[in-house]
Order: sequence, then C-alpha cells, then structure tokens
Amino acid sequence: MPVWQSIYEELNDDSFEIISVAQDSGGEEAAGSIFDDAEVTYTSIIDVNHHISALYNLLNVPSGVWIDEKGQIARINEGTYATTHYDGAFGNDDYVPIVRDWVAKGADSAYVWDRDKVKESIFLRSDEAKLAAPAFRLGSYYFNQDNDVKAEKYWTIAQELDPNSWNYLRQDLQYEEGGSAGPEWRERRDRVEGAGGSYYAPLEIEDGAAD
Amino acid sequence: MKGIRGIAILLCSMLFNGLIHAQSAVVLYNERAVAIEQTLPDATELWVKPQDLTRINDFVLKPEGACLAELCIPVLQDRDSDMYVTRQNQGWFNVTGLADKLQQAHMADYQDGVWSFGVMPLERQAFFGSGEAPDFTLPDRDGNLVRLSDFRGKKVLLLTWASW
Repeated sequence: MPVWQSIYEELNDDSFEIISVAQDSGGEEAAGSIFDDAEVTYTSIIDVNHHISALYNLLNVPSGVWIDEKGQIARINEGTYATTHYDGAFGNDDYVPIVRDWVAKGADSAYVWDRDKVKESIFLRSDEAKLAAPAFRLGSYYFNQDNDVKAEKYWTIAQELDPNSWNYLRQDLQYEEGGSAGPEWRERRDRVEGAGGSYYAPLEIEDGAAD
Repeated sequence: MKGIRGIAILLCSMLFNGLIHAQSAVVLYNERAVAIEQTLPDATELWVKPQDLTRINDFVLKPEGACLAELCIPVLQDRDSDMYVTRQNQGWFNVTGLADKLQQAHMADYQDGVWSFGVMPLERQAFFGSGEAPDFTLPDRDGNLVRLSDFRGKKVLLLTWASW
C-alpha cells in the first residue's frame, strides 16, 4: 500500500488514476487503518461485498486490471504486488516497471494486450460458481447484522459453490480460529500448488523493453 | 427453535398463498439493500409491487414489459402469468422470474425474507465479448460514489487487496 502511494506520487499524472478496492466484509474496521497508515491519496474503496472480484472474475488478492482511456481492459487477472515482501517470500518487483511504461506510452506500451489476449485472460466461472456471489453477498449482509450463524452458513455455501475463490475462503477464515493464513489455508494452498495450480493469478511479463 | 419457527413461517405462507398480507423482504443487489414493506407470500419466488421492482434493479414495468433502458422483457399484464399476477386490484411482479429470464443468479434466506441477486449477465456482455471493463458504482471511504465510467479519458489501474 505505501509502495503504490509512492508510485502514484512519482507518476503524478492527471491522466492516470489508481482505484484501490479492499475486499473486506469487515469494512472500515478491518481495512480503514491500512489506507490511513499509507496516507493514500488515490481512490480508495472498501468493498464489503467483494463486488469487484465478482464483477471482474478475480479469485485472489492482490489482483490488478488495466483499464484504458476508452474503458477497454488492457491487462487483467494478474497477481500484482507492488514489490517483494518478507525477503522475497511473496510479491515481486516486475509489475511496477510495466505500469510506468503504460502510463508513459499508453496504447503504444509493449505491455498492452490485444483484445484476444484480454478475452482469453478473463477467468470463466462455472454455472454453479455463478451462484457463489449472491451467496457470499448474503453472508456479508448477515455478518454486518452481527448474525454470525447465518454469515457462516452463507459464506460456507459460497466457498462450496466456488472453490476456486481464495477470497471467499480467506475472508471467512479471518474470523475463525487459525486465521486467514492458518492451517486450513496452508493445506488448501499446498494441495492446489501440489497439483500444478497456482495460488496467485499468474503474472507473466512479456519480453520487451520497459525503460 | 429457529428451525421450527422457519417451518412455521413456511407453512403459514403456503396456507395464505394468494392472499395479501404483510410480508416484508430485504433485497440485496449490487450495493443496494432495499427494504420491501410488502411482498406476495410465496415459498420460492419474490413477488413485489411494480414500484418496488424499480427500487430493486431499475427495471420499470411498462405496457410493453419490464424495461431497462433499451431492453424490454415482454410481460402480460391483462391476465395472470408466471411473471405478473393481480390480487385484489394490486399487481405483483415476479422478480426472481425476471432474474431467471435474464440468467441472473440469485439466492434467498426464505426464513428471514432476504433475497440476494448476482450480476446481471447483460451488464457483462461487452466484458466477455470484447474486453470492455464492466462499470461499477461503489462508495469511497468518504461516502462519495465512485463510478468507473466517470474516469473515461484516463488510464485506471484497478487494484484489489484485503486486510486478511
């Protein structure tokens, strides 16, 4: 978060905006202080219903989407840290340079995808998984009504309907013993990665000269 | 106890099906949580007065059907159908029936009368078809509404993250 703020200040470009959306059903209480501590000046949203992940078919955080001046997507569904964390345990330094390149060159950036690449990069949910969003929305509604029994019920249904969503799993685990990065999460992650899957959405930067 | 109460409510609503009596509902759609004072009791479908339909999803019931901008879904109104019924001079519109026609996912907690609707596929035709960014309107931390389409002319880096 502080890294994105420094990049935003460095770019300082009226034709560029960051919209940062916290996928946090706990609202301000959960995510507000993180925005505050980073003294964020770009557009900041706390999305208690995970609407953006549902709308753009994103499964995990962090995820990034490039949207051009005409509202056309130029990159989507990538695991996008601004930097490495914990001595390289996760994140990388590869994404920020291509963002800089895009902001400078726009459509001429070598990192802008064509429409076919964008279309094939959009994750497609199964019909069953499409039911997960309204289920999760019910859970978040009950969570914010302090009805933990029903919150748990519908968040669990959402996870069963859309087992690909890390967001639904970890949002729920945040409020359970063990936490969002505890044994249950580790076990699931090991299983998925052991089967050749990836935890974060892939970040594949094209060969090209980001100067 | 809650389970027993749920069954009792269900039985009551089945017994009184077709009669008008107050049964409130909450409808969740995008950022909206719309309180509906009165619905037509039905075990698995959500029937609301036409004016409440518009509060839920902006569709307007016109003589030609349920309409949103250029789109109109034909709805018979001179006699009862699976989309629209008249009870004691009050018309009732089947919101879940419309959702099914639009292939919009939905789920409900019948016990509490809370109905939740997913994204309408028509909102994302251009997303899947040509990679157009689906529009959204969400409040920022100060409560101001942020609409993606208001940023036309700028490049937008949309980032998701979470505290968990």
